[in-house]
Amino acid sequence: MKRRRSGEILSPTARTARGVLAAILIVYTFTTVFVIGITLLDSLKTKGDLVSNFVGLPKAISFDSYKKILFEGDFINYFKNSIILTVGGTVGCTFLAALTAYGISRYDFKGKSFLTAYFLIGMMVPVQVSVLPLFLILKKIGLLNKLPGMILVYMAGISMACFVFQKFFRTIPVELEESARLDGAGDFTIFFCIIIPVCKPVIATMALITAIQEWNDFYMPMVLLGSKNVKSLTLAIYQYISQFTRYMSESMAAVIITLIPVIILYFLFSSQIVEGLTGGAVKG
Amino acid sequence: MRKKKHILFIAPGFILYTIFIILPIFYVFYLSVFEWSGLGEMKFVGLENFKTLIFNDRVAPTMFNALKNNLKYLLCVWLIITPFQYLIAYLLYIKIPAFKYIKFMIFMPYVISSTIVSFFATLLFSPNIGFLNKFFEWIGHSEWQSAWFGDPNRAFKLMIILIIWQGAGSGIMIFYSNLMDISQDIMESCRIDGCNEWQRFFRILLPLSLPSCASIITMSTIWALAIFDMPFILGGINGGVNGCLDFANMVFYRYTFGSGLNGKSNLGFGASICVLMFVVMLVVTVLQNKFLSKFEYDT
Repeated sequence: MKRRRSGEILSPTARTARGVLAAILIVYTFTTVFVIGITLLDSLKTKGDLVSNFVGLPKAISFDSYKKILFEGDFINYFKNSIILTVGGTVGCTFLAALTAYGISRYDFKGKSFLTAYFLIGMMVPVQVSVLPLFLILKKIGLLNKLPGMILVYMAGISMACFVFQKFFRTIPVELEESARLDGAGDFTIFFCIIIPVCKPVIATMALITAIQEWNDFYMPMVLLGSKNVKSLTLAIYQYISQFTRYMSESMAAVIITLIPVIILYFLFSSQIVEGLTGGAVKG
Repeated sequence: MRKKKHILFIAPGFILYTIFIILPIFYVFYLSVFEWSGLGEMKFVGLENFKTLIFNDRVAPTMFNALKNNLKYLLCVWLIITPFQYLIAYLLYIKIPAFKYIKFMIFMPYVISSTIVSFFATLLFSPNIGFLNKFFEWIGHSEWQSAWFGDPNRAFKLMIILIIWQGAGSGIMIFYSNLMDISQDIMESCRIDGCNEWQRFFRILLPLSLPSCASIITMSTIWALAIFDMPFILGGINGGVNGCLDFANMVFYRYTFGSGLNGKSNLGFGASICVLMFVVMLVVTVLQNKFLSKFEYDT
């Protein structure tokens, strides 16, 4: 659809104003390029170079800081933990949300509207309020400071995905399922062989958003993953920042390694990420 | 026949969700009336924890200072961040030059973790090695140098700037897509009627898109009252110099997982802070929705 109000004539002042505002915003967006750029350059400096020449091009490109964090210390372990948490949490949460949303939106039963509202509560209550009970519950079932426990908590956060999926599932024509049913397909066959393939785009979008949130999560891993061997990347970076002068070059490399996955995802799927965010829970 | 099968679909999600999302909310209320170190016996103390929280002369000032900061931040959300987001969304909507690039770049920090944003802040604002102080020295204006986050007058403002840089993108995109949803017929007729850009903004776009923005404003309010990551990393566990970056959630963290009240840990006391936060959230959200619903009208 063509959004531009065609034939609109802008006065010269309005045009200048727009140009100036655009220029300001472009300069503003350069801060992003600037900070990421400095970090990238700094991560390629040797430690001596970094101290004397904080901003500016490296004298010689060196991968010392990368080698150091990748081959010494626990960084690689944190990286692995973050991958496990993100993949486990995302797959689990998205799958669970799709199941739940399908059950709610495609069947008629008593208490349907109650359930819809019930699953929305999670969106309205920030996890900060419930983190202490979560801590105690996980401790009780012996999953505190363990990756599976954290993954279970991530999996339970289905509110937003469930809401979005419900909205989407309602748009699928009933005939699609009816004809499959006539061909003798069971409920779960229908769900896995018809619904999931049809909804691939929206499922992928929600998975993407969930993955980014979990990859970046700081608060929950900090409280629920206390022991050293289960720490996630964000915690490692926090550790580096709190002793910044000591771990300067390591932290640069660590930040770049943590950033790369999300930045790649963003460059590839920025429109889906935006769409998932705006088309989803928060709108309307 | 489609009977009972829905239970199989809903049950797994329902069980996990109830255990890890719903149960904790009730559990925190339950805990708040006990004195409990996490081990051993739980002692029922009624509203004692809340009394300590509000009247104890050691705890209360910290708590109120933190709540004050929360409300200050909330005011910033309402008066600075949200209008800023709406303005940018509008600029994207009228397609200012390079709007595609701006849209892409302005949203990007949203996918960056707050830990990394705080790291970038350290790069720029660290008093000793930070880029800004070095830069001011280089251009010969050493008097512009500052302790930045170490300066209680500046720390809060800087944090707001960082939050705008990181988090404004999501709101901008939601406002933008709400603007895009306004029917083109309306835009067309207002163009034919010859209304100018100001009139179009204030009489058409703003009233038509505001009701659909109520939910995003509600969400940002809730998150504003629960803020933790950024002040924690930037200001340290004690909330910066003179508690200028102290927030309710950090007080909760300190007393529950940190040093504890009077040296002994009391989870019930931590829970009572959560309950207080929850109540403040509820009150603010209800009041805010009452206010926002005034703008709603039928289309």
